[in-house]
Amino acid sequence: MDFNVQADTQEISVFRKEVREWLQENMRGAEGLRWSATWSTRENEEEYQFRRKLARELGEKGWLFPMFPVEYGGAGLTIDHQLVLETELDHSGINLAAVFYTLARIVAPVILKWGTEEQKREFLPPMLCGEVSVWQVLTEPQGGSDIATCHTKAIKNGNHYVVDGQKTMVGYHHPPDFLWTLVCTDPSGPRHENLSWLYIPGNSDGITIQPMSLMMGIKNTVFFDHVRVPAFNLVGGENNGWRVANTHLELEHGGEGRVGADPLVERVVAYCQQMRVAGAPLMEDTSIRDIIADMMIELHAVHLFARRNFWHRYVREPHPYGGAQFRYYQRMVRLRNGERLQQIMGCDALVPNLTVNEVVDFEYVVRSGPGMLHGGGTLDTDRLVFARRVGLGRPTKETAPTTI
Amino acid sequence: MDLRLTKTQNMFKRAAADFVKVEAPSHIVTEWFRNKATFLPDLYRKAANLGWLGMVVPERYGGASASFTDCAVVFEELGRVPLPGPLFSSGVLSALLVLEGASEAQKESLLPAICSGRSIVIVAITDKGVDWGTESVETRLTNTTGGFVLDGTKRFVYDAEGATSFICAARMENGGIALVLVNRESPGISITPHVGFMVSVAEVRFDRVKVAASSVLGEAGAGWQILDGALQKALPILCAYQVGACQEIFDFTAEYTRTRVVFGQPIGRFQRVQDHCVELSIHLDAARWVTYEALWKLDSGLPAAAGVHEAKAVASEAYYQVCNFSHMVHAGPGTDYGHPLMAHSLMAHTLYQYLGTPLHHKRKMMDALYPRGKG
Repeated sequence: MDFNVQADTQEISVFRKEVREWLQENMRGAEGLRWSATWSTRENEEEYQFRRKLARELGEKGWLFPMFPVEYGGAGLTIDHQLVLETELDHSGINLAAVFYTLARIVAPVILKWGTEEQKREFLPPMLCGEVSVWQVLTEPQGGSDIATCHTKAIKNGNHYVVDGQKTMVGYHHPPDFLWTLVCTDPSGPRHENLSWLYIPGNSDGITIQPMSLMMGIKNTVFFDHVRVPAFNLVGGENNGWRVANTHLELEHGGEGRVGADPLVERVVAYCQQMRVAGAPLMEDTSIRDIIADMMIELHAVHLFARRNFWHRYVREPHPYGGAQFRYYQRMVRLRNGERLQQIMGCDALVPNLTVNEVVDFEYVVRSGPGMLHGGGTLDTDRLVFARRVGLGRPTKETAPTTI
Repeated sequence: MDLRLTKTQNMFKRAAADFVKVEAPSHIVTEWFRNKATFLPDLYRKAANLGWLGMVVPERYGGASASFTDCAVVFEELGRVPLPGPLFSSGVLSALLVLEGASEAQKESLLPAICSGRSIVIVAITDKGVDWGTESVETRLTNTTGGFVLDGTKRFVYDAEGATSFICAARMENGGIALVLVNRESPGISITPHVGFMVSVAEVRFDRVKVAASSVLGEAGAGWQILDGALQKALPILCAYQVGACQEIFDFTAEYTRTRVVFGQPIGRFQRVQDHCVELSIHLDAARWVTYEALWKLDSGLPAAAGVHEAKAVASEAYYQVCNFSHMVHAGPGTDYGHPLMAHSLMAHTLYQYLGTPLHHKRKMMDALYPRGKG
């Protein structure tokens, strides 16, 4: 086994040098910016514009989706190149999949797998070039995690679908260029066989976006009122949407993987080295060290699970239950770490520190512990997926879909 | 990055899996553990013939010059049983201890015998069951004419029963710690098994045992550093054994949720039962990846101290918790000594203590990363 994400062959080390120099050049101007931990926590126009610019520049080189075929705007590179880009960007506190406010990182692989040739040529290049932002639009007020109970209707009318309904808890603070939307195309059809996916232009008539202020930041409700969408924009076949959703959900639910590590523990240690109580640094206190040890060990396991999933994804041998396991565990660890931070640093853990990244901002970590337990589906759906993949209580095991 | 095993490692894995299938079927293993008959000389000899003792020892001393990961792959399969006997305690820990700290002459005389299984050398470290730190080495080593006298009682000596000799950590008159090689047959040695919820553990009493000056391993006074150095390399192999055990428990627990029917359906359909399996898998996989990452660091010559302590903490905690979650799924039948889970439960409690608890190793991890007194 080799856990080294920087064990470069000669060819790859040349590429790493190229990427490093390129980033040095193109990250100029980012020094004063404070990266958002997620894309929905706050409005910061300067950061947003920088990220859009960086995405376009990366996209121009095919580096935003390095392993995607060249004809769709990727670079046709290998997992080793992908690793170089991930690890080099990680130094700047960004990961490749989340350069800017878009869910193209999930939507593009789904369209690559399920789209027709014409759809791929039409929809993928703008995403892969970082030109457009995409929201995933699944959750409905009545359904919550039960996305198959989909009341948003898309009824065919000539060469268009007419969409009516409401989605909620979606998106970020900037309106999207496209909405990747789960719709019901056969209201009288059986469950799981009445769904489809529409790639809806964000500027279509009849779309209203209403922001919601939530514990973890900004999300939105989207209203569709007689929105006309070209039939060409239905991806994966009419009423075949549940199978398409499987690919989508596997990526969203942890199967995506990640190589970068969460720098939270280093920040906590730095705080404890500086903060003195009764004349001695907190870092000398055995009970504090014990709490930090638990935090460190759990975050390290989260990191190793993410790295395992990343590897399984890019060698195209999806881990049977790794996505669901990772997502459940990551969320529980974040929740526990929120309390640990309060135990270690008292009310200092509840005050935002605007000089650091949100990723390592204690207040954000505390708040997003409970706030982000359920985004994209509750903890319970993760455990449900786990059970099916392992085949608990059933003779057969559901297989994990292949994704890239 | 490549998270696969190599071809050779897959071969080792298959060989070990085939061996335990034939030699240690589950209904026999449960009897061993029920009767606490866990030292099995025949089985030990067979394992020795397959080259599993001293795998990581250089060939010139009778080992296989294998990598730590190669060795771990074998121990992962043995852990599935869990196969008892001093394969780790003598074949890995003591072998590494000798390799790490002994003189050339001592290596030449001891290592081939350990690797062939002729000698079973067992390390006796702590005098206090509650602590594995240097302060708890209390057995005294006193100078006499022509040698030393060893006096004290060691707690929690794992695999003492099969020992042909002991390496005893002892406190010298100047306060330093020496490692002393003592033949089991020396007058004054008595071995009393610890009776309780653990296996293969004994108290070893050294009652004014005479030892020759040449019996001190390596440099007198450097005993603790030698031991620490050996543990740094040996612990991840023990972790791999615990990972194998966790994997086996995960597999048979998942299978049980398919076949056990109550309230009209297989219990795996109940979400609360599924929850136990989710937690179980998290402990299993955390142990697996932390362990193999530490092994990779060792094999690559990277600084591994913190990772090794972390692995022991995580793997011992995992084995213990995995048993507990499996007990929740199995309920009554899992508490019968005739059930494979009971062998694992006994072993998990034993290895939780062996060479230091998870808390002990978490603190060692922190000390390795952030030494105290440096702000």
